[in-house]
Amino acid sequence: MSELEDNSSKGARFLSSWGVNISIALTALRTNLMRSILTMLGVLIGVFAVTLAVAVGNGASDAVTETINRFGSNMAILVPAPDDEEGGPPRRSNIRGRLTTRDLAAIENEVPNIRALAPQLRQQLDLVVAGGNSSTQAVGTTPGYGQVTSQLADRGRYISTADVRSSARVIVLGRTVAQDLFGEFDPVGETVRVDNVPFTVIGVLEEKGSTLGDDQDDTMIMPISTMRQRFVGDTLPGPDDLQLAFVAFREDASLTQGKEDIVNVLKDRYRVKPGEVTPFTVRTTEEFVEQSNFVTGILQAVLVSIASISLLVGGIGIMNIMLVSVTERTREIGLRMALGARRSDIRNQFLVEAAVLCVFGGAVGLVLAWLAGAALTAYAEFPVPVGLGVALSAIAFSAFLGLVFGGYPAVRASRLSPIEALRTE
Amino acid sequence: MATPATRRAPDELAHPLVETRGLLKTYNLGGETIHAVDGVSLKIARGEYVAIMGASGSGKSTFMNMIGCLDVPTAGQVLIDGTPTESMSSDALASLRNAKIGFVFQQFNLLARTSSVDNVAVPLIYAGIGTAERRERATAKLIDMGLGERLLNTPAKLSGGQQQRVAIARALVTEPLMLLADEPTGALDTKTSAEIMMIFEQLNAQGITVIVVTHEDEIADHAKRRIEFRDGKVIEDRLVENRNIATAHATEIA
Repeated sequence: MSELEDNSSKGARFLSSWGVNISIALTALRTNLMRSILTMLGVLIGVFAVTLAVAVGNGASDAVTETINRFGSNMAILVPAPDDEEGGPPRRSNIRGRLTTRDLAAIENEVPNIRALAPQLRQQLDLVVAGGNSSTQAVGTTPGYGQVTSQLADRGRYISTADVRSSARVIVLGRTVAQDLFGEFDPVGETVRVDNVPFTVIGVLEEKGSTLGDDQDDTMIMPISTMRQRFVGDTLPGPDDLQLAFVAFREDASLTQGKEDIVNVLKDRYRVKPGEVTPFTVRTTEEFVEQSNFVTGILQAVLVSIASISLLVGGIGIMNIMLVSVTERTREIGLRMALGARRSDIRNQFLVEAAVLCVFGGAVGLVLAWLAGAALTAYAEFPVPVGLGVALSAIAFSAFLGLVFGGYPAVRASRLSPIEALRTE
Repeated sequence: MATPATRRAPDELAHPLVETRGLLKTYNLGGETIHAVDGVSLKIARGEYVAIMGASGSGKSTFMNMIGCLDVPTAGQVLIDGTPTESMSSDALASLRNAKIGFVFQQFNLLARTSSVDNVAVPLIYAGIGTAERRERATAKLIDMGLGERLLNTPAKLSGGQQQRVAIARALVTEPLMLLADEPTGALDTKTSAEIMMIFEQLNAQGITVIVVTHEDEIADHAKRRIEFRDGKVIEDRLVENRNIATAHATEIA
């Protein structure tokens, strides 16, 4: 019973002494308002810089991931480039890259869980109509491309198997290109001269938007056979060679397994022995995301390191001002000790004062970083998300900073001899 | 009105409130050792009213700081209420000061920009008393000191005498056994000094042991016992004859 009472009174003492310390700290900080504000400014700038650096890094990472996923997720990308499967092209290789329509057909037949697949030939082409002209990255492909990219025509129609078989002179315009050439006028059925060859517009693609300045509507689709015959045929090594191919897997299927299946089919076709360099490269969207996260991670680490220096300077400012505060209030410390303050009471009083400075500065810095992040997101087309996790870490770190840099002055104050402190003028 | 000097009963000093044994405090000043307090042994019983006299540098303040557990002796012992203090931790000494000793200083030593109530409540913070009770007890002590109308004033809004009365309320708020006052009237005019001495008189009458350090005979004459220091040693320790009773004196002035 008495033990319980003892504990609860200890608890009450603990709580009430922290409340008192906060109110003492606020009084002291108000007394030297200008000085307190300037000291907070140091922490404010530090927290602002670090928070924003973290947010910029997260934003870059999110943006790249989003760009990749918007194009198509759970997908393997095949390139006719030699690969030793250790990441990056092999240093010495006289192997020429290969990837053909027949390879893709074999993959379609032998690899399970494929949702859609499409080959690709691409070329920058000029488009001219009576009212204007434009230039865009044209994609020669098959109807499967619409499933791979989840981007079909929402006006007119997409290219068909028949278009591919007959090498029809038909195009589907991306929203941006359609806008450039025809404005608000419906382009379906109109004729466009593509590098001086007349084509009929059969459709307009669904809008996809843009991320990181990459406009996914600045494109144009035509049958792969047409692209090969009229524009890129003579630049390719063979009559059915491809520049690129996409294999999209079902959402519930393993992408790692899918990639392995594709590699095995192609290795078989090109008779690649174990350990040899393959004439093709297969990468998954997951790998691209990982790779880009690695790069943005480095970017973020560099930014945060630089920003941390300003936080360190802010912390030193806290330490400096706390040392001044202890010196100025030596007599008060002596008085409090005479009245019964223990060393820990004095130490806590100054620790709380430093922590209050830091948390206030940190909170304002955080709010400013959040505003700056919101402004960047809105106006710079670059997402800078200051999330709850970042915010909470910023505040916790500010308090930690107060304890670290306020620690030495606080301990010094608590070590004063009561009578020496009281005698100070 | 003079109080005749009486011998103290022997049992009073058998359990003294303050006892020093061979108390020594030395300082080293430029290679020379100064004996600020030089082997002082004495006892002060509960309920006494003692004036500690001496010129500046006589060692009286150093002596008071040691019996107030603010300063540590070079050698010798201080016993408070029968307990030796030399082996106590700094935390234990802090609790001892908080519970048993009330200090009054020449310069009042109130916290600036802090109301009377909050100033008086400071020792209760360190005694672990909750906010509501702190406020209640501090208010009661201020009313006792006649400052019921000045509860929320900061020191800057108070006269010197009022500030010293706030300081006395603060010294008394933990209900200590003794009051240690170092030149309590040194910063006050004659009339206000008399008021303060009257308060000490009343407190002593209520049973609180009062120890006043002063260099003024007039102040010392209020006490029942007078201890005089010179060069760190006690040169005189006697009961005061012809006590100057502050209540009467103050009434005359009023």
